[in-house]
Amino acid sequence: MAQNLLIEGLRQVVGEANVLDSPVHLQLYQYDAYLEERRPDAVVFVHSTEEVAGIVRVCNQHGAPFVPRGGGTNLSGGTIPFRGGVVIEMIRMNRLLEVDTANLRARVQPGMFNLELGNALAPLGFQYLPDPASQKAATLGGNVAENSGGPHCFKYGVTTNHVVGMTVVMPDGEIAEFGGLAPDTTGYDLTGVFVGSEGTFGVCTEVVVRIVRLAEGVKTMLAIYDSIERGSETVSAIVAAGMIPATLEMMDQLVIQAVEQSIHCGLPLDCATVLIIEVDGLKDDLEAQTEAIVRLCKEHGAREVRVAKDDAERALLWAGRRGAFGAVARLTPSYLVCDGTVPRTALPAVLKKVAEVGEKYDLKIPNVFHAGDGNLHPLILFDWRNAEQKARVMKAGMEILALCVELGGTISGEHGVGLEKMDSMRLVLSEADIRSQLRVKRAFDPKDLANPGKIFPAPQEVACVP
Amino acid sequence: MSHDLASLRRQLEDLVGNSHVDAGPETTAAFAVDGMIPALTVRPGTQDEVAAVVAACAASGAALVPWGGGTAMGMGNCPVRVDVVVHLDRLNRVVEFDPDNLCVTVEAGMPLARLQEMIAEKKLLLPLDPPDGARVTVGGLVAANLSGPRRLLHGTARDWVLGIRVVLPDGERIRCGGRVIKNVSGYDMNKLFIRSFGTLGIITEVTVKLLPMPAAQASVLGLFPDLSGAAATAEKVLASFLLPEALELLDPCALDILAPALGRSAPGNFALAAGFTGSRETVERQVRDLETLISERGGTVRLFREVDSVRIWDAVTNAFGALPQDPLRVLCMVAVPIARTAGMMASARAGATGSGLTAATLAHAGSGILWAAFFPAAGLPEDEAVSRMVTTLLALREEAATVGGSLVIQEASPRLKERVDAWGKPGSSFAIMRRIKTEFDPQGLCSPGRFLGGI
Ligand SMILES: Cc1cc2nc3c(=O)[nH]c(=O)nc-3n(C[C@H](O)[C@H](O)[C@H](O)COP(=O)(O)OP(=O)(O)OC[C@H]3O[C@@H](n4cnc5c(N)ncnc54)[C@H](O)[C@@H]3O)c2cc1C
Repeated sequence: MAQNLLIEGLRQVVGEANVLDSPVHLQLYQYDAYLEERRPDAVVFVHSTEEVAGIVRVCNQHGAPFVPRGGGTNLSGGTIPFRGGVVIEMIRMNRLLEVDTANLRARVQPGMFNLELGNALAPLGFQYLPDPASQKAATLGGNVAENSGGPHCFKYGVTTNHVVGMTVVMPDGEIAEFGGLAPDTTGYDLTGVFVGSEGTFGVCTEVVVRIVRLAEGVKTMLAIYDSIERGSETVSAIVAAGMIPATLEMMDQLVIQAVEQSIHCGLPLDCATVLIIEVDGLKDDLEAQTEAIVRLCKEHGAREVRVAKDDAERALLWAGRRGAFGAVARLTPSYLVCDGTVPRTALPAVLKKVAEVGEKYDLKIPNVFHAGDGNLHPLILFDWRNAEQKARVMKAGMEILALCVELGGTISGEHGVGLEKMDSMRLVLSEADIRSQLRVKRAFDPKDLANPGKIFPAPQEVACVP
Repeated sequence: MSHDLASLRRQLEDLVGNSHVDAGPETTAAFAVDGMIPALTVRPGTQDEVAAVVAACAASGAALVPWGGGTAMGMGNCPVRVDVVVHLDRLNRVVEFDPDNLCVTVEAGMPLARLQEMIAEKKLLLPLDPPDGARVTVGGLVAANLSGPRRLLHGTARDWVLGIRVVLPDGERIRCGGRVIKNVSGYDMNKLFIRSFGTLGIITEVTVKLLPMPAAQASVLGLFPDLSGAAATAEKVLASFLLPEALELLDPCALDILAPALGRSAPGNFALAAGFTGSRETVERQVRDLETLISERGGTVRLFREVDSVRIWDAVTNAFGALPQDPLRVLCMVAVPIARTAGMMASARAGATGSGLTAATLAHAGSGILWAAFFPAAGLPEDEAVSRMVTTLLALREEAATVGGSLVIQEASPRLKERVDAWGKPGSSFAIMRRIKTEFDPQGLCSPGRFLGGI
């Protein structure tokens, strides 16, 4: 049987023990942090670029789709093997290959967790800046494929601004190098094109990232508001005052309450919203910057602004923010994370409308988000066992994304399109835009084997020209 | 002019108006690319006109080259064909300026300097500083990913572009990205067109994010009797907490060019120039720290504040524009891992000396970028001069390649380009680049031959 031949071929590359095909095992790989499920035909553990190339070649022989999988924390169905085939489990390629402080670069295998890289660099006095809130369980490969952001991206940019090179196993099994240690590689910026391609351009097997010195000083503030509007106005006021803090994060009351229940970081349960604001850099003006921000927050209606006195207090604030998605999960059997983005000044307007959408569909929608980036994460709570409710959730989600687009924004800031937002792509892209993206896909993957069935909506019905 | 081009000319005149189409070498010669004079130049006035012009060229099989400010037209290999130059100077409007959200959208032909002037009124800036900013257009800046000293702290166009609109080689108009600072709605198509040198279409509109102007700025220049003192100081700065915006190494020839701006010359010296911006407190602190580092390594310090600092950076950024004109001179950019920058500067100088050429070199010490200009000695016969240039460039390229770097020719005579490829050999990723080009420009009509590997 063709199926057996495929499994046999995979085993020849990586050995018996590294190929899973029993139903129990396959079931573990049929879902990720999004809401859909689809079972793969096999799961393969890989340990080197050559093994990945071997596996991809076997997939080519058998016309089998393949899906690279990192931590499985993506929120858009990116790792769901939509057309079956082979899940390539990257998690064992998790070594830090080289830290080159003289050249301010590190070479990393893609299965390494974002936080592990941070932990390895910190003792040397360095850091890798993009820091998704999921950094404990998200891999560098997943970060690259999703072009992930994080709380510190307002000042420092997202993954694409910090990845300078990579080794890629192309969808036909060939190995190619993009970018590298030296800047401005000749030819098209394939590194830049690959980042954010959601596993549809091949498998990244090595990443070269930019590292920078840890900041000399950091100050973290918590501004507490009785009005969500005043809180979101403050975000723009800080920027208008000519300041670019490292982070500008926001959580609303429902999220704060959930976080307090699970993490106990001392957030007031009765406030409408909090802003977590951090400034970093040379220590000489951090006091002055902090004072200026505290003043601005108060002018814009903050009832209290706390400044973290030490690392422990700062860590606690961040534990609250980073634990927010997890904490909300305790409130509800499931939730849909929206990821719309708007120009920053539209935040107050869009938050108000999100609340209206919640009322209209009778759904609870807590908000936790990267306010500085204008990147919302309304979390629409529901019970997956209730099909009628789920249908309402999907409608509400779509409406929120449409709102973001209407206000000059887009349908995804950092979580990717995957399976989730294929149908919303037409909110922002024209048919010509979609066709042009498909040209790039065809150039990378003419046989459509790399994570097929994602990102692009089905072609629109075209009336036949007689 | 061939029959086809004559009919294309009439079509273009219909599309954009007679007065915006030129034919005949007396007018089109100013738009020669590596000596190849286009049959036609056309100046579309809107983005839709660009689309119509490109579609007309595609239909008649005419090869086109987009032209912004013309500052980077010396880059790349000699084109295979240039039938039509599409000059974008009339596409110079502001589409939307949104100071509150720190972003602006302009048409591609807008000169960078004019954009900077406009946003400065709102105390904003775009921290991209290619040479010749007065002539560089925003579209050209993006298409060639041009950069300057400030890339150390701020990166390049790829870090500042939020969205672009492009006319594809078949005349179809598309939008990439948008105007929000985070955007993963599909592939990051911006990256495909940034630094594609007009080989995948014509960029017609650009949205960039902006920065608030800093409260203070100052520059410190350290003069050293040799390169090693300057380089060692640069290394120390990079390993410290300091966050200079720019950190430049200048050799004596480059320093000479700057003498008028510096107010005096310092013959024989190498220099390390650092630019600091930020709050008054951080700028003062960094100036002090760097002064100490320079003195510790035997250098002499010169300090420039505020307007003087601006003047110095203008001069450094445009240093090579002030070099003597010489039809045989070659300008190239070498990119290497950061720690190799000073070493490459030494090699470039030694290579020049060894071949009896003069070199002026300047490096972005914290970015791994070396700019080198080579001149033949006076009276050297042309053949001999070209041969020596070739030898020097190839040796330098070889050395850069051993550390994973590249040497790209920025400007050279067509005669030299016949003997040295402007980009060097393509690597393992070239197959995919070719396929991308074929997907977008199957007829090979957009800037044919100028890019890597004959693309
Ligand atoms: C609690 C929580 C908080 C989050 N916070 C943030 C946040 O702040 N910012 C943010 O941007 N995202 C956030 N996310 C989303 C998610 O964590 C990121 O998208 C993350 O980068 C995914 O990494 P992963 O290793 O889990 O990738 P996976 O989910 O395993 O894979 C994601 C995609 O990458 C592809 N892929 C994986 N590895 C490779 C590889 N080596 N080569 C090619 N393609 C590959 C997969 O095929 C898939 O399409 C959050 C998620 C959760 C659950």
